[in-house]
Amino acid sequence: MIRYSLSLFVLVLLALAAQQFIPALTGLYNARLLLVTLVFLCASVTVGPPVMLALAFVCGFLWDAQCALGPTGGDPEIYKYPVESLRFGYSILLYGVIGYLMQGIQPLFREGKWQFSTALVGISIFVYLAAEYLIINFVRGGFVFTEATLYQIAATSTLTMLFSPLVFWVLFSIAERFGHEIRFEGLKKKQRARRRSIA
Amino acid sequence: MRPLNLVAFLLFLAGAVWALTRSERAVREIQTTYYQWLTPFLSAGSSMEVKARGFVDEVHHSKELETKLETMSSEFDRLRLVEAHAQDLEEENARLRRDLEFQKRMDFKATAAHVIRRQPTTWWQTVDIDRGEESGVSLHQPVVANGGLVGKVDRVGKTGVSSVILLTDEACQVSVQVEGTVEKGILSGQRGQFEGGPRLRLRFLSRNARISPGTRVFTTGRGGLFPANILVGTIESVIPGPLDSEALVRPSVDFTDLSTVFLLPAVTP
Repeated sequence: MIRYSLSLFVLVLLALAAQQFIPALTGLYNARLLLVTLVFLCASVTVGPPVMLALAFVCGFLWDAQCALGPTGGDPEIYKYPVESLRFGYSILLYGVIGYLMQGIQPLFREGKWQFSTALVGISIFVYLAAEYLIINFVRGGFVFTEATLYQIAATSTLTMLFSPLVFWVLFSIAERFGHEIRFEGLKKKQRARRRSIA
Repeated sequence: MRPLNLVAFLLFLAGAVWALTRSERAVREIQTTYYQWLTPFLSAGSSMEVKARGFVDEVHHSKELETKLETMSSEFDRLRLVEAHAQDLEEENARLRRDLEFQKRMDFKATAAHVIRRQPTTWWQTVDIDRGEESGVSLHQPVVANGGLVGKVDRVGKTGVSSVILLTDEACQVSVQVEGTVEKGILSGQRGQFEGGPRLRLRFLSRNARISPGTRVFTTGRGGLFPANILVGTIESVIPGPLDSEALVRPSVDFTDLSTVFLLPAVTP
């Protein structure tokens, strides 16, 4: 379990490095593959809440370190209404929320129905991006939600979701290598009882 | 909730509150350390992008040549390749000359930088450039291109990669004046504009501003961020309001085709 959890943190760091090579698709409303978020979401359904929360903290922290904008600067006499930036650390909370969302269908995932998790990855990313954009609107004032923004969020979610089976496959391989069993405790007990009754 | 989960949740909340209460300076230090670790990947990513572009161009070129192979001799093909290569060099030479000429035209010292990454984040309009602290880059340094103002430096990298916030971002505000009038205002990008030609929003013009479309807009030099008289764009339309007027401005720089930019000396207020 510990080795598997540690490997998830390494996987997140690798995803962060790989994310630097993934450009935004300018022809598709600047949609992009959010690899770090994808790895987090897929990993969070395979572990318990404590590891998921630790992953959420690491991912959110690193994501904000990458994306946070600097101070606007300039003479306040001239620039009387500076545009507010999002506070460093908000992504940690958002990652926590979508992590719990994934945990909600963990029983189904552990029964082997990973297709539900794949669909929920797309939904979670949509929720994450929509929430992020709404926070920007709230902080900066003036509600603006253009069609292009909706398409960008939808295209990013779909694109990222399509890659989730690949990440699940990687996670299953790692789990197998480190002897970590991704299975619901209740199911284990049932199976043990069934084996005993057969014996 | 199991006790372990509860403890993990409380620790998570404490960590989030700790991160949310970091000062601006602490955040900058975190970012500097983060990007120091990431610079090798950024540089590798940038060179891969250049190679990929070169490969795509090469493939395109090969296809063109393929259609001519049937009718031309191999010697002629070779000459065609040489000619194509020479043409590429000529175009590159012309572009560099244009950039050099632009640099000469500027009456102040400008440092050239290459754009190595576009739009690295989801919501912010930024680009990464291949200059950092070692090249004298400083925070809020104005950035221009051949067409006019591009934006300002938002994050200075210690080793070679800095971030520039573009004029098309809502957070990049510029004090500007409309040519031939007394109208002054604050120009910024608009939220949620991704495709097509972005339009900038010029606010705080006088209520009865008489501005005709096509009039040019320049920086005022006020506010301690940008020097005066840098072209920003041209007026496209004016929207009168009850208290003040607004205008939509077409930027003078093509932001989809940024390859070389110039860093001007930082303005001292």
